[in-house]
Amino acid sequence: MTSAKASPAPLGGGPPAGHVPIRGRGLLTLLLLGALTWSLTTVPWGEPLVHPGGLTVLGEMLVAALHPTVSAEFLGIALAASWRTVAYATAGVSLAILLAFPAGVLASGVLVRHPVLRALTSGASRALLGVLRAIHELVWALLFVAAIGLSPFAAVLALALPYAGILGRILAEILEDVPPGPLAALRAAGAREWQVLLYGRLPQAFPNMVSYALYRYECGIRSATIMSFVGLGGLGYQIQISLDDLRFREVWTFVYCLVVLVVLVDLWSGVIRRRLLA
Amino acid sequence: MFELVDATKRYGPLVALAPLSLTITAGERLALMGPSGSGKTTLLHLLAGVIQPDEGRVAIAGRSTETLRPGRDLARLVGVMAQGFDLVPSLAVVHNVLAGRLGEWGIGRSLLSLVFPRELPLAQAALNRVGVGTKLYERTARLSGGEQQRVALARLLVQQPRAILADEPVSSVDPARAEDLLTLLVEVAAEDGRTLIASMHAVPLALRYFSRVIALRHGHLVFDRATTAVTEADLTALYDLRQEEARDVR
Ligand SMILES: Nc1ncnc2c1ncn2[C@@H]1O[C@H](COP(=O)(O)OP(=O)(O)O)[C@@H](O)[C@H]1O
Ligand SMILES: [Mg+2]
Repeated sequence: MTSAKASPAPLGGGPPAGHVPIRGRGLLTLLLLGALTWSLTTVPWGEPLVHPGGLTVLGEMLVAALHPTVSAEFLGIALAASWRTVAYATAGVSLAILLAFPAGVLASGVLVRHPVLRALTSGASRALLGVLRAIHELVWALLFVAAIGLSPFAAVLALALPYAGILGRILAEILEDVPPGPLAALRAAGAREWQVLLYGRLPQAFPNMVSYALYRYECGIRSATIMSFVGLGGLGYQIQISLDDLRFREVWTFVYCLVVLVVLVDLWSGVIRRRLLA
Repeated sequence: MFELVDATKRYGPLVALAPLSLTITAGERLALMGPSGSGKTTLLHLLAGVIQPDEGRVAIAGRSTETLRPGRDLARLVGVMAQGFDLVPSLAVVHNVLAGRLGEWGIGRSLLSLVFPRELPLAQAALNRVGVGTKLYERTARLSGGEQQRVALARLLVQQPRAILADEPVSSVDPARAEDLLTLLVEVAAEDGRTLIASMHAVPLALRYFSRVIALRHGHLVFDRATTAVTEADLTALYDLRQEEARDVR
């Protein structure tokens, strides 16, 4: 986490980047290597990797991959499940952006001049964002299902909170690291700090931010799929039902739907990115 | 318009500007000359009120820069054209121009203008004046260096400060365009009796377009004369100094 910085130098000059000192890095590497070695000793190496019946099941699964269920009726179910997953992801990420915006701006500390006030507001927002993203969306989903039942709101909120934590933190960092020259020029033209935010920081942060939000949307589709395992409909839920009955051909239909969704989102965000950079 | 009394600026042990006292009256056209690193930008920043002297004082229109915080009051007095133009590249040209009005605008107007540009005729007139009237809605990043310079000047036109401070306004354009730009800068300044202060690299241009020359070296004043009083000896001295400087660098 970056600490709040003093006002940048007038008309130019960049902030120095913080790094773990070399000596500390060596120590850290040693510790991590030690932990890895230790963890290897805890693996029961004697037992076979796959239990005997597992191999035949694996074979069945691979064969099913070539023959996914494609009946019209079943495709209807798959389409509805895909739609639901996209809807959760879209609503969740949209809500996350709405939450991340004010929190990210506060966390960046660029609006507050007074050093103590800035440390307080920025610290509080950073802590909040940290808590939001420290808890995985699957855990949020379990919490919300317990609190409000198997409702779409549970899915949307469970996705929105951790994603707001991630997007807000990234927004704060992008806002802080915007090139300072144009900002100083705006101040010289009489702009106050919130006008500098509107006319200088946000426009310069915009392409990066959109690009990152699109990437997060792609992640959101995958998260929404996994989240529905807790019983909130969608692709993951359907995969789970088919898997329980060992209907591998249906499982593959859903998996292919997921692949198509992710590829489509990737293509779409590619188009937008290219347009932004043009 | 400007008054410096023993103004000094240091960066650590480095003396960027040795104690300097001078008075600049309204309507003067002043060129700052000297090799790079001689303190021209530092002096411009002191005059613009964006940095404060370590010792001595700087006053703009009779008010100490200590009391003139950046904001509307300062923006009405001095407008700055930075060395790299420093426009916001991802904004449309019109917003970069209208940014010159931000000191006068409240929150509603500033926000609304990003969607429906306010005071559009003002921005259009300013852009026409500097010869890039057709670029109103173009993304600023797509403009050439020379065009961006003109947009920066258009911002100053809508800001309407009493003095224009330009840091090496023509160092990054070719000689023919440099003359055009200087002509424009001098005209714009002359219209409302504005003071013009620019740091200049090219000696002939400085002599042709400005009424007074201040030459610096290592933060020290070398000479301060009316352009008509600048002698061959002054120029030879400055020229030699520049040669020496070039050798130092190598
Ligand atoms: N923010 C700063 N921090 C440290 N040194 C600086 C800073 N700004 C300028 N200097 C130094 O002060 C001296 C004068 O710089 P400057 O005013 O930019 O000269 P010029 O514009 O004539 O090239 C140079 O040696 C430069 O390296
Ligand atoms: Mg300079």
